[in-house]
Amino acid sequence: MSYESSGYKVFKAINFTIMLLIIVVTVYPYLHITAKALNEGYDTMRGGLTIFPRSFTWENFSVLLRDATMLQALYITISRVVVNTFLSLIVTFTAAYVMSKPRFPFKNTALMILVIPMFIHAGLIPTYVLYSKIGLLNNYWVYILPSLFSFFNMILIRTYIRSSVPESLEESAKMDGAGEFTVMLRIILPLCMPILAAITLFEAVGSWNDWTTTLYFVTNPDLFTLQYKLMQVIKESESLMRLMAEAALTGQDTSQMQFSATPESLISAQIVLTTVPIIMVYPFLQRYFVNGIMIGAVKE
Amino acid sequence: MADVTEIKTTTAVWRPVKGTLWREVSKHRALYLLISPAILLTILFSYVPMPGIYVAFLDYDIFMQLRSPFVGLQNFIEVFTLPMFLQSIANTLVLSILTLAVTFPAAIILALLLNEMKNGLFKRFVQTVSYLPHFFSWITVIGMAYAMYAMYGPVNDAIVSVTGKDADRILFLGQQWFFVPNILVMTLWKNAGWNTIMYLAALTAIDPTLYEAAHIDGAGRWRRLWHITLPGIRPTIVMLLIFGIGGLLGSNFELVYGLQNSFIDFEVISTIVYKQGINQGQYSLATALGLAQGIVSFILLYTANRISKKLTQTGIF
Repeated sequence: MSYESSGYKVFKAINFTIMLLIIVVTVYPYLHITAKALNEGYDTMRGGLTIFPRSFTWENFSVLLRDATMLQALYITISRVVVNTFLSLIVTFTAAYVMSKPRFPFKNTALMILVIPMFIHAGLIPTYVLYSKIGLLNNYWVYILPSLFSFFNMILIRTYIRSSVPESLEESAKMDGAGEFTVMLRIILPLCMPILAAITLFEAVGSWNDWTTTLYFVTNPDLFTLQYKLMQVIKESESLMRLMAEAALTGQDTSQMQFSATPESLISAQIVLTTVPIIMVYPFLQRYFVNGIMIGAVKE
Repeated sequence: MADVTEIKTTTAVWRPVKGTLWREVSKHRALYLLISPAILLTILFSYVPMPGIYVAFLDYDIFMQLRSPFVGLQNFIEVFTLPMFLQSIANTLVLSILTLAVTFPAAIILALLLNEMKNGLFKRFVQTVSYLPHFFSWITVIGMAYAMYAMYGPVNDAIVSVTGKDADRILFLGQQWFFVPNILVMTLWKNAGWNTIMYLAALTAIDPTLYEAAHIDGAGRWRRLWHITLPGIRPTIVMLLIFGIGGLLGSNFELVYGLQNSFIDFEVISTIVYKQGINQGQYSLATALGLAQGIVSFILLYTANRISKKLTQTGIF
């Protein structure tokens, strides 16, 4: 294998270039939006901004964080992420523990009940009607209850338990007199930490990023989340941005406008605000989720 | 019931079936307790709404609810005759098929290219970077697109620097022709890297001795790719393709809804269901449309699975 043909060398060079291109294309928009968030809004409108702020300012962030509704949205978002992640880990892990047992009598029935909704859903409107009947519309718990159990995550955990926890371990614990709960909490749970770290990341990111639940089922502004508010300003600012861009294009004087923040720069700041937590936890958890997914995929 | 007979033979004592069943349940009561939250939540949030599709056959009235007049297939007829609905169905199909056709091979090619990278550190860096957008929300990605395509954003700046004329700036996100291509680009940007994970996992599972044997027999790189690598990841490809076909019609809401603006005339089924159903309160029509979409999705999934089982002996059910 030591001999390399010239054709292969060319391929390697092209491949390397493609990979570099992927890095640039992926990273550039993020760096650009960060530069925009840290740049004065009216200066940004002149164009030519790349990945460094040209006239640096914290103004966009301070405008955002002076907004009381924004702080409320931040509170709702963080609390739902914490509560949902914690509770859904419990529900999904206990289900996965039971389903990992070959001797559980009604395993196949339970599996059928849990898997069918993966393929058949009632759809948005029947769900909406149900939520209105049981009082979940405009209710904080609409963010928590419907998403507590995840079939996909349960399969990942179950596969992990089966592939990495020897059955004899459990049997010997049972012989020493350990009950079901002791086995689960003292033996299986500690061994599942890598996959649970992956699931924690998926769940946390999932509920942090969700905005359609708010769109469909919530109209009370006190329950809005960060992502939903971001969606609102993006949809609303479209016309305003166009007006400003046109004003700048036709050479009108925009300097007399009062603040240095524009809708565009505020949106940028809000995007940075909503992605920074993800970027901060991502490197630490990446190892785990890649392993978790790979175990699930290979054993398929 | 098989469990019950098994217990009877092992204990070798005759007992009434009812009592045995009860003993069996009680022996495993901890397990039943542990799985009950998952079962109850699934029943409540997935099964209980299912009979609600009945609304599709009613002239639904908020006050009369399920006692509203039964109109049979009239809602479906209306759905399939109004131009707006027909257009949204066509849009959904075209957009879904294009998305699948672009993103599906892209992930396989990207995985194969990554697999050829021998420099471990650089390879890991590319992977880390390309997975990241998957963790951003769609609305964040849409916000970034607004910044990139802004009148005075990087894309327009690049165009002006090439042509030299400031008037060449285009309001990209207000162009009808740009809507679908842009959705494809954004889907690729967000998910192509992440979708390689499964393939990379399958690639590491291929027995390396196969490559050595083929190499000794004189197989070049292309032959090894064709006869070892691709067959090696075929089950993964088939499985992900079936899932892709199954989810073909259901996706795209966040992206289409988020990118819609006053210049764009493009609706898909899910945006119509939302707008007609929740905003306008046309429950019956929206349910009928959603039900039609669900049935078509399921038929697609089922057919794909059947064909795949015939051709490759691989299927998901």
